[in-house]
Amino acid sequence: MKAKEMVALGTALAMTFSLAACGGSDDSGGVVAANLPGIDMIELGTDYQDITASIKILTNRTDIVDTVYKGYAEQFMQLYPNITVEYEAVTDYEESLNLRLPTGDWGDICYIPTSVAKSEMSEYFSPLGDYGSLNEIYNFLSDKNYGGIQYGIPNGGTAGGVIYNKRIWKEAGITELPATPDEFLDCLQKIRDNTDAIPLYTNFAAGWPMGAWDQYIGVTATGDPDFMLNNLAHTKDPFAKRDDMSGPYAVYYVLYEAVSRKLVEDDPASSDWEASKGMINKGEIATMVLGSWAVEQCRESGATPEDVGYMPFPITVDGKRYASGDGNYSYAINNKATEDNQIAAMVYLKWLLEESTIFEDEGTIPALKSEPLPDSLSEFDGVEIISNNPAIEGEETLFDDVNNESEVGINNNDYPDCEILECALYGTKDLDTLMGEWNAKWSAAQESLGVDILKY
Amino acid sequence: MGKGGGAVATKKTFAEKMKSREAQQFFVIVTFLFAPLLLLIVFTYLPFMRMVQFSFYNMKYIGPKKFVGLANYIDVFHRTEIFRALLVSVYYMGGAVVQLALALFFATLMVFKVKGESVFKAALFFPYLICGIAVGFIFKFFYARGFVFDSLLQIFGMKLEDIPYWLQDQRINNVALAATSVWRYTGQNMIMFLGAMMSVDTDLYEAAALDGANNWHRFRYIILPSIKSIIVLNLILSISGSLSAFEPPYVITNGTMGTGTYFVIMNRLAHENQKVGLACAMAIVLLAIIILCTVAQKLFFAYVFDNGTDDESKAAVRKRKKAEQKKRAQKGAAV
Repeated sequence: MKAKEMVALGTALAMTFSLAACGGSDDSGGVVAANLPGIDMIELGTDYQDITASIKILTNRTDIVDTVYKGYAEQFMQLYPNITVEYEAVTDYEESLNLRLPTGDWGDICYIPTSVAKSEMSEYFSPLGDYGSLNEIYNFLSDKNYGGIQYGIPNGGTAGGVIYNKRIWKEAGITELPATPDEFLDCLQKIRDNTDAIPLYTNFAAGWPMGAWDQYIGVTATGDPDFMLNNLAHTKDPFAKRDDMSGPYAVYYVLYEAVSRKLVEDDPASSDWEASKGMINKGEIATMVLGSWAVEQCRESGATPEDVGYMPFPITVDGKRYASGDGNYSYAINNKATEDNQIAAMVYLKWLLEESTIFEDEGTIPALKSEPLPDSLSEFDGVEIISNNPAIEGEETLFDDVNNESEVGINNNDYPDCEILECALYGTKDLDTLMGEWNAKWSAAQESLGVDILKY
Repeated sequence: MGKGGGAVATKKTFAEKMKSREAQQFFVIVTFLFAPLLLLIVFTYLPFMRMVQFSFYNMKYIGPKKFVGLANYIDVFHRTEIFRALLVSVYYMGGAVVQLALALFFATLMVFKVKGESVFKAALFFPYLICGIAVGFIFKFFYARGFVFDSLLQIFGMKLEDIPYWLQDQRINNVALAATSVWRYTGQNMIMFLGAMMSVDTDLYEAAALDGANNWHRFRYIILPSIKSIIVLNLILSISGSLSAFEPPYVITNGTMGTGTYFVIMNRLAHENQKVGLACAMAIVLLAIIILCTVAQKLFFAYVFDNGTDDESKAAVRKRKKAEQKKRAQKGAAV
């Protein structure tokens, strides 16, 4: 008797679970998509004034969701009174979104979490238009498209450069910003000689600021948008010295020489990232090599935000200067929401990207290609900002594979960069030896993975 | 009860059997064991077996894996940095010895009446209660140039130029890091020693005092022999702990400046370079090294700490046996 009941209960449970499992897959939003306009087709202020909808936007910015972001929503609602816009801040954004996305019932606009693979985007998000035509209008689209269709538009982007304290650089007697590694090192020397500031603060102890040097070896050091994700994996000895002082070697040369000429902090092992933000603001630190995202933080950490400047990384390739641009999180629209909600969401998204003040407020590169650079990047005049081209089809994982196999760990392992500093500090190896080792590891990885060596 | 009773009642029904004392006992044991065994199997043995399996594959966390046989193990033995990392463990082993000596010293002081005993006990034990990551952050600032430790030394009249860079100077940085784990674990060892010392019969001290034994004699001939098994246990735990030291170098220096222990290197390979198979092989090699060390220590202590029977020391036994053998041999020769 008991046993029978148990069996019955078990069967019932099993059936419920299998039913639930079926539920997720059979209602994809593909049908609705046909009626959606492309985001580039919408005329703001005139189109879709008759739509009544209430939309919810998920964001990771818990700090400003009730102030700045709410302000954008209110401005928009004056333009479109029938659409109600509401923000929801999500702490632990990536983890929560991984759980909430598959339910389909999470809201209308979100940032695409990094865990969503390109091929999966169509399961969750509405198409915003085709890549070709949107790419004419918006920056940094190369990442979030699949099969020629765009699913996400980045919330602006950042450029790779160097944070510096303008007042200290001026006091050291520097009138023109450096354009080559050697000029940069000369400037640091002047700062050492003429001021009390630490010329270059490495933030070695935190680890990741050392890994951040890897961000400059691509576009910044070569001017080639294909270098990072396409060519590097196929290049023989990519870390070797180039005669014109460009390429990855030049980036690491700056780090190595700065350390070995004692132009960095006294004890890198006890550097402190949180304190360094205030120190560069006050002028106790002259320079830090970090992405533009850090500029706002350094400005906010002291009484003299106007002293904190941002300059391009000092490398010149064939007389031209480049900086790498990377998109922030991308906005995307829920394809499981009702059609009205999806359209309303698209209208709001377009307004946010094109009419709101979000990019000036955040000091990032705007989404629109036609907009000027933010004030924080005023030194980047004449510097071409390009983002990396995505890897060609069939080689999407090649760079990661070679990178991991070789343990050079570009952009994912801080230790090799730390080792550059260690070698310079203790004088155990010179840079050519070290880069030779990296090349050897790179070649061994290429060989074991059977990668073709190509000439570029 | 017993066999006779059982033989008579062979025709017991199932329900009756269930009610018997043996069955009940069996049931209680099984139900009580079920939860801990399940936890142990699910969270220790299954993952361990998977790790053994992974060590034969070339794999990342996500994506396909390829069987490569012993290639990962061969790779482990070919990498110089891995065995250099084991040398770093020597510092932690040295630390372990210092730590045990200190713990023994404090425990011995406290086993006799001391004023404010519980305050000292609590103060010494406290560091063990702080999580390892927090300890790391404490010492990160403690050792930072010009911070706590340097300021303290300057108060005592040292000049900043004469103070070494605690985390940067390769002559001293591993010692500095090992010291943090001494600080953390001394209290815990002390409590274990103290517990063992408490169980020593106090009559022995009195008797010894009557025989004119001083404190050193009491320690050497009463306390030490009584707690030797705890000492051996602690030493074995500390040495295997030293081989797998992770938190201090990971948090304080991130394994840079020559402080990378075996675990730090393993963590780097697994998580940053995604070489999961190789890291698993490293883990198993480390396990083998730890087992070897433990067995070696067991054998060593079995020899060194062997005090023979209750009546005579091992040395005396050996002497006696040798003498007997000699006698026998002489007898044999005479016959």
